[in-house]
Amino acid sequence: MKRRSIVSWGSAGLVALCSGIGVSLAAVLRFLTPSVFYEPPQDFKIGSPADFSYGPPTFLSDEKIFVFRDREKGIAVASGVCTHLGCTVAYFQSDEEFHCPCHGSVFSADGKVVHGPAPRPLEWFEVTLARDGQLRVDKDHIVPASYRLMV
Amino acid sequence: MNPIRDAWQSVFRRDPLSTDKGKSELVFLNVWLHIHPAKVKKENLKVKHTFYLGFITFFLFIILVTTGVALMFYYRPHPPQAYQDMKDLQFVVYLGNFLRNMHRWSAHGMVICVFLHMCRVFYTGSYKRPRQFNWVIGVVLFLLTLGLSFTGYLLPWDQLAFWAITVGTNIGSYAPLVGGRIRELLLGGHTVGEAALLRFYVLHVAVLPVVVTLLTMVHFWRVRKDGGLSRPVWKLKEEKSAQLVTIGAPEPVAVMAAAPASKDKTYGLMEVVTGKPIFETVGVEEEEDTVFSYPYAFFREGIALLVTVASVMAVSLFWKAPLEEMANPAKTPNPAKAPWYFLGLQELVSHSAFLGGVVVPGLIVLVLLAIPYIDPNPSRRPADRKWAIRAFTLFVVVNIVLIVIGTMFRGPGWALVPPWVHIVGAE
Amino acid sequence: MDRKLPQFFFALSLIVLALMLGAVWQAASPTWKTYQQEFHRLEAAGEPNAAAKSDVLNADLVIKQDLLPGLQRVDRCTTCHLGTEDPTMKNAAQPFTFHANLGPHVPAKFGCTVCHGGQGLATDKQNAHGMVPFWQEPLLPKDYIRASCGLCHKEGEVPGVPELTEGRRLFETQGCRGCHKLNGVGGTIGPDLTEEGAIRRFPEWLEKHFLDPNTVSRNSPMPNFHFTKAQARALTFYMLSLTSQQMGSYYSSVRLIPSAGYGRQLFVEKNCIACHSIGGVGAKGGPDLLGLAKQHSSGWLDEQLVNPQTIYPGSIMPAYDLDTNSRKAILIFMASATAEDAQAILSQRTKALTPRDAAIEAGKQSFARFGCVGCHGLELQGGVPNPNSQGGEVPSLLHASDDYTEEEVIKIIQNGKVPPVENAKGPAAPLYMPSWKTVLTDEDIHRIADYLWSLQKKKEGW
Repeated sequence: MKRRSIVSWGSAGLVALCSGIGVSLAAVLRFLTPSVFYEPPQDFKIGSPADFSYGPPTFLSDEKIFVFRDREKGIAVASGVCTHLGCTVAYFQSDEEFHCPCHGSVFSADGKVVHGPAPRPLEWFEVTLARDGQLRVDKDHIVPASYRLMV
Repeated sequence: MNPIRDAWQSVFRRDPLSTDKGKSELVFLNVWLHIHPAKVKKENLKVKHTFYLGFITFFLFIILVTTGVALMFYYRPHPPQAYQDMKDLQFVVYLGNFLRNMHRWSAHGMVICVFLHMCRVFYTGSYKRPRQFNWVIGVVLFLLTLGLSFTGYLLPWDQLAFWAITVGTNIGSYAPLVGGRIRELLLGGHTVGEAALLRFYVLHVAVLPVVVTLLTMVHFWRVRKDGGLSRPVWKLKEEKSAQLVTIGAPEPVAVMAAAPASKDKTYGLMEVVTGKPIFETVGVEEEEDTVFSYPYAFFREGIALLVTVASVMAVSLFWKAPLEEMANPAKTPNPAKAPWYFLGLQELVSHSAFLGGVVVPGLIVLVLLAIPYIDPNPSRRPADRKWAIRAFTLFVVVNIVLIVIGTMFRGPGWALVPPWVHIVGAE
Repeated sequence: MDRKLPQFFFALSLIVLALMLGAVWQAASPTWKTYQQEFHRLEAAGEPNAAAKSDVLNADLVIKQDLLPGLQRVDRCTTCHLGTEDPTMKNAAQPFTFHANLGPHVPAKFGCTVCHGGQGLATDKQNAHGMVPFWQEPLLPKDYIRASCGLCHKEGEVPGVPELTEGRRLFETQGCRGCHKLNGVGGTIGPDLTEEGAIRRFPEWLEKHFLDPNTVSRNSPMPNFHFTKAQARALTFYMLSLTSQQMGSYYSSVRLIPSAGYGRQLFVEKNCIACHSIGGVGAKGGPDLLGLAKQHSSGWLDEQLVNPQTIYPGSIMPAYDLDTNSRKAILIFMASATAEDAQAILSQRTKALTPRDAAIEAGKQSFARFGCVGCHGLELQGGVPNPNSQGGEVPSLLHASDDYTEEEVIKIIQNGKVPPVENAKGPAAPLYMPSWKTVLTDEDIHRIADYLWSLQKKKEGW
C-alpha cells in the first residue's frame, strides 16, 4: 500500500465518519424529543367571549389561567402559576392583586411582582379568535402584559 | 511542549500506527480491542472457513441492545398501554418504525446466525480438545438467544405475541416435575396477563442480556486462550501441523521434540514457570504466516460489521415488522402458532405432548451439550469425520423440515394445508 | 484482497451512511406534513395581508392530538383534518372540509373515532381510516355514522336516529335474546352481543347477516327472520351501538338526551297521574301540572323534583331519585303536555285484572323479553329447523299439555332440555332448550307456564 493512497482514503474516511456521527447524534436527539404529549394540551379553546364576565377575571382551574375581559381593552389571559416555585395564585378583587399562598409573593393586576420572592412577573398567554368564534389560548406563546385581544 | 499534543497524547498513548510497535499497542493497550492478539495467523482470517458467523452474531447482539435501549424510552410493559406504545412507535415517534423493524429483524437474524455458527463450529470440528467447554458455553448462549427472542416476542402484546407465548409456555409445562412450576414462575400467574408481561420484560431487558454478556465474555476469552479463531488445520502442510502443541494430543512427546521450548513464544507471562504450555503456541517458524491484527483482522471485522448493519438497515427500510390486533384472551386465532424457531417443537408436540415437548427437546439439548465429550475422534479433518458430519446434517435438516412444515403447511385446526391453498372464512 | 480492504471498508461505510440518511429521510417526510402544508396555503389565501400570510405559511408542522382518557382513546385525526372547526372551510375539499353540526361534540372532548370509527392512533391515511388488516373498527360509511350515537345515548330516543329505537324494539320483540345474551340476560346458543358494537363494526356484514345469516356465517343455526331492508338496517344500527364500555364521568353525565318522549315514559313509570292532573284530567292529590309549567321557572320545577320538601315542607310528594337529564326530560314533557296526554295515560293503565290474568300478562311479556319467541315463535307455533333432532324442528308449544303437566314444563324451563337425536351417529342438534333457573325467578317461570297453559289447544275430541 502506498502511503499517499492511505492518506487520501483516510481523510475521506474521516469526513464520512464525522458526517455519520453528526447525523447519528442529530437523529438520536430528534428521536428522544417527544412528538406528542400525554398531557393536557398547551393550545386549547376556552369558549366564546360572551362566556366571560367583565370585572374580576374568570379562573379556569384545569388550565390554571385567569381570563380578563374589559369593555374597552378586550381580552387577556394570564397564567395562574407563580413564577417562584409553581404554586397556583389567587386573585383578590379588593386589592386587584394576585397572591401566592406558598411563600407570600404578590403580583399586581398586570402581573408585575409587587412583593415576595417571585423573580419574574406572571406570564401572559397569547389569546386569539378562532374561525368558529371561540377564544383560543396558546401557552407556548408568551406575550407582553399589554397584549389584548379586541372582540 | 505543545499543550494540545500533550493533551491528545494523554488520551491516545500509543505510537503512530505506521510503526509496528504502534500497531501492536493499538491492540494490547486498548481496553476494547485487547481481546485480540496483536498478530493473527493468516488462516484465522479465512472468510470461507468461519464465514465470520460468530462476529456477525455478536454484531447483531450489539444492534439489538442499541435499538432495544432506544425503544425502551417509548415502551411501557403494561397492557393495554404496551400495544398503544407499539402503535405510537409506528406512527408518531421519529424513526420509531425503523428502529422497531431493526430490532425485530436483527432478532430473527441472530437466532439464525447463532444456529449457523453452531453448525460451522461442528463442521470444522472446532469443539474438540481443548475447546470442549467453550462449545458447552456456546450451546448455553444459543439457548439464551432463544430465550431472549421468546421473551421479547410477548412485548408487543398483540394476538400474535399473546398466543405464541401461550402455546410456548404450555409446551414448556410438559417438562416432568418442574414444568408446571417453571410455567408459573414465568407467567407470574395461571395465564398470560399483566404479570407475565412485566416478568418477560424484565427478563428481556435486564436479566438475559446481562447473562448473555457475561457468558459472551467467557466465550471470547476462551477462544483466545484455546489458541485463537478456528482455522482449517488439516490444510496445513504435514510438518507444520505436527508442530502444533495441544495438550492431550496423541504422542505429545514426539511432537514436543520437534519444537524446542526455548523457541516457543509466550504471551505476556511475567513469571518463569515450568511445565508444558497450556494452549496452542506458534512455532517461530510460523512467524512469517502471521500478520498484524491492525489492519488485516480489524478491517475484515469492520467489513463484517458494516455488512451486518447495512443488511439489517436495508431490510428495515422496506419490510415492516408485523403487528396484529391487540391481544384478546377470549379469541384464539386458528391456528395459534409458537414463534417460528419453536414451530418444529410445536409440530412434534402436535403428535405427542410428552415425546415432542419433553423427551425430544430434552435429548437434543443434552446431546448437543455432550458432543465434545462423547466424540472420541481427535481429528478435525472432514474426511475423517464422515459419520459425525452426516449425523449432524441429518439433525439440521430434520429441524428445518419440521419448522417449514409448522410454518407453511399447518392451517386452521393444525390441519395439513399446503400454503398455496387459501382457506375461505378462516380467522 | 488485502490491498483492497480499506477501499471496500470505505465503500461499505458509504452504503451504511446512505442507508442511515434514507431512514432519516423516511422518518422526516411523513404524508401528514404534506397535508398540513397544503392547509396552511389554503389558510394563507384567506389572510388579509402579507405578514399574516407568512405567519401562517411558516407555522410549525406538528402532530395534533386529542387526548381522551374518559373515552380511553387518543385521536390524531385533526393532524390532517385541520378545517374541522373552521367555518370558512365549508367548501374546501377533504381532508380540510368544515364539520357542520358538531354541537357539543367537539374534537377536544370527543375526538373523532368514537363516532366515525377508524384508528385514531395512526397518522397516515390508510391506517388512520382503519382500512388495514387487524383493525376491527374501520371508518363507518356515511349512512351509518349516526349509529354511533347509541354508544353513549342508550336511554330514550336519539333525535334524528329513529333506526336505533326501531332496532332496539325489534331486538326485544323478535326474540333475539332466546339465543343471544345481552347485558347478562339471554341464551347461549349464539354469541354474546353485549360488546358487539365494540368488537365488530362492519355494517355491510351485519346487514347481510340480518337479511340472511347463512350468506355470511356458514352453517349458522340462526334462522332467517325475513327482515325487510329497513328492519335489517335498524338492527344493524342497534348492533353498532352495543357496548358496555365505561366512559368517564363527564360523558355519563351528559349522555341522556332529555326528550319529551322520554319524559312521558318516566311520567308513566313514576305514576305521576296517580296524584296529579294535566288540564283537569287526572287525580286531585296534587296541583294541576298544566298551570305549574306556566307559572314557575324550570329551576324551581327542577328543585321540586329533587326534593319537594324544600318548597313545600310537609308535602306528600316523594323525592324521586332522578338524575339531571331525567328531570330535564320530565320538565320538557310537562311543558307541552295536554289534557289529551293525561287521558291517554289514564286509559293505558292496567285494567282491573284477576291475579291469574295479571300473571298471564306478565308471563307473556317475559316470554317475549327473554327471547323464547326466537325459537318457539310469536304464536308458540315452533317450526324453526333443528337438524337431526327428532321431528327435525323446534316443536310447537300449543299442544304441550298433551305430553306434560304444568309442573313438568316448569321443570324443563328451569333445567333446560336437550332434544333427542334422530340419528345417533349424526352430530348433535344445534338448538336446545337452555336452563333458565339462574336468570329467571321461580315466579317468572310460573307466570310463563301460566301463559303457555292459557293458550293450549284442546285435544280434538275423539
